[in-house]
Amino acid sequence: MEIAVQEVNEQRLPKIDPRTKMMLLITVGIIMMSGKLTGVEYILRLICTCVPFLLLVLIKQYKAAAVSSLILLAVVLCEGFVVPKTSGFLNLMIMIVCGVISRFGPGYLCGWYMVRSTSVSEFITAMERMHFPNIITIPMSVMFRYFPTLKEEYSSIHDAMKMREIGQNIKNPLIYIEYILVPIMMSTVQIANDLSAASLTKGLGTDGKRTHICTVGITAWDVALIAVMALMLVVFFIF
Amino acid sequence: MIEFSNTTFKYNVTRADGVNEDIAGVRDLNFTVKDGEFVVLTGGSGCGKTTVIRLINGLIPHFYNGELSGTVTLNGSNIKDMSIYEISGHVGSVFQNPRTQFFNVNTTDEMAFAAENRGEQPERIKTAIASTAEKMRIENLLDRNIFELSGGEKQIIACAGINVLSPDIIVLDEPSSNLDHLAIKKLAEVLKHWKQAGKTIIVAEHRLFYLKDMTDRMIVMENGRIKHEYDHAALISLTYEHCKKLGIRPLSLEGVPLEKAVEKSAANRIEIRDLSFTYKNGRHSINISGLSIEEGRVTAVIGRNGAGKSTLVRNICGLEKRCKGTFMYHGKNMRHKERLHNCYMIMQDVNHQLFTESVADEVMLSITDKKMREEEKRKRAEEILKALDLSDVAETHPMALSGGQKQRTAIASGIASGKPVIILDEPTSGLDLYHMEQVAAETEKLKKLGKTVLIVTHDLEFIFKCCDNVVHMENGTVKESYRLDETTCGKVRDFINGKKEKESENV
Repeated sequence: MEIAVQEVNEQRLPKIDPRTKMMLLITVGIIMMSGKLTGVEYILRLICTCVPFLLLVLIKQYKAAAVSSLILLAVVLCEGFVVPKTSGFLNLMIMIVCGVISRFGPGYLCGWYMVRSTSVSEFITAMERMHFPNIITIPMSVMFRYFPTLKEEYSSIHDAMKMREIGQNIKNPLIYIEYILVPIMMSTVQIANDLSAASLTKGLGTDGKRTHICTVGITAWDVALIAVMALMLVVFFIF
Repeated sequence: MIEFSNTTFKYNVTRADGVNEDIAGVRDLNFTVKDGEFVVLTGGSGCGKTTVIRLINGLIPHFYNGELSGTVTLNGSNIKDMSIYEISGHVGSVFQNPRTQFFNVNTTDEMAFAAENRGEQPERIKTAIASTAEKMRIENLLDRNIFELSGGEKQIIACAGINVLSPDIIVLDEPSSNLDHLAIKKLAEVLKHWKQAGKTIIVAEHRLFYLKDMTDRMIVMENGRIKHEYDHAALISLTYEHCKKLGIRPLSLEGVPLEKAVEKSAANRIEIRDLSFTYKNGRHSINISGLSIEEGRVTAVIGRNGAGKSTLVRNICGLEKRCKGTFMYHGKNMRHKERLHNCYMIMQDVNHQLFTESVADEVMLSITDKKMREEEKRKRAEEILKALDLSDVAETHPMALSGGQKQRTAIASGIASGKPVIILDEPTSGLDLYHMEQVAAETEKLKKLGKTVLIVTHDLEFIFKCCDNVVHMENGTVKESYRLDETTCGKVRDFINGKKEKESENV
């Protein structure tokens, strides 16, 4: 089945609307975070565990898809079948480790997929279609840019620390955090300031009507996905 | 038409010690820029040229706080009465730092962004993007991730975005700061094209050589005032000596003299053999069969963007673990850990390497000699700070310093670390004449201390002021490595002037 999905993608990449992606993120988030480990809810959790795999395959992150879903599946199966059979300290340890990974992992992966696969202008367009005001949309859209920037900043600061031979002592992680955080905050404040100025000179942030060159729209794919998600949520809340 | 009349602007800033202060940006400016005119603003850092740019694109008074008196009018309307949205329809802006002027992550989206914000028809925008890409020959840059582009490519995308919207007035604030000579050439082509299309162009810039031919008027500023004005005929006759007297960078690289004495060859060398390294994404890989670097001398590493200059110095520094090859230093092969222990790099963005709460602490942090007692360390730090004119700011927070002071603080920490090899990554990009000369003087000081200095740079004047040797990188290999003297200086000049046309011409 997975192979079939891949082939379809090669021929004609189904483009998922950002709104559907948000729906996916919310559904997976709710079910994984608060689902129980028995009965119908466990089955729903199993289904949700597979969602990140499909999404990552869609954006051709095959390696990440394989690794992450293997871990997630192992963890969720562990929760379902190993946890009831163990007791005491071992039970507690497995519960904690598996719980953290299974409850946050899928949501994180869906979020990563969303940031990876959505361009800033697609996101803004979709938010406008849902009549969100600019005051919410624009700060949120900056997030797409913020993560790669943060990564760049982090790696330069890390290099500088290596060169100055500071923060290398594992005994004192607080110093490491301080040395990383202070320059990151300083430079992101500067970047945010410059970015705001540049965006203003490009006419962003007024109530003037924007147009879009990207095409965002609900397709049959989106309708199907939304229907499935809605169904899952209904089942989840009723049972 | 842009008209400044009795314009004065003071920035309201809060100093590090919490005191509010007004700093003059420009004072009593009176000048007009005619439609279709190409004006270059120049002068030392803090002369007010950036303030003039901000007054034209509306960031002053609409974004930066301060006190504005007098008027600035665009085509007859006062910028105070226009919203920044309104101004953005008339004025396009290119900024100094290519890293921080993009709102989008995708290049095509970024090119469309300004036009989208103005509500233009999507079909028209798409056509404009296609024709811009064709005209600028940047089809290969469409639909890419901006984080994967070089500084030069980013700056061209910024220009392309302006071309899509096509405003009448275009302002550029030090657009060439982070570019190599080929990217500068491409930028010059774009500017020429805009000039032919009748745009009004105002460029604030330190590096003037690429602007000379198209400039209608050059304004030299000092302390927020206009000091000199030259029309085209007057400015092309300005020689290197004139520029030096004016305190500005030369208008032509041809006249830059070799200013330093040729050194004897050094006794010891660092020998690099069979160095090979590739980044995980496969870009900027290097492959060097042999390179020897003289100890106690200053070596300039030149080459195009992407030729592997930064990769080379990162490997010498020991920042890349997966690097293969031998580095013989004093008869011993040094592994990356030892190289990290012996090399100190001053990065292009010094903000990333200042960690503490005061300049003195910053220097103290680098004195890692365990045998030294606290008072000895303090004394040593004081000496270093004095040598680099930092004594006055010893207790200041590094982030409250000016760019040049931050760089000197980083150099001071390098000296304090006692490491024998100091590497500077493009230390003079975006610097005016005075500050460039200051960095050259600091480099001399490093050499006097017996340090081996490696400098990645595109700056011809700087090379001619303080470098002893040149390593020329091309496509990840060392193309040439030679001593800089009267016979070889022509080679460097031709390279930086872009005389060698054979190298492939994609930015």
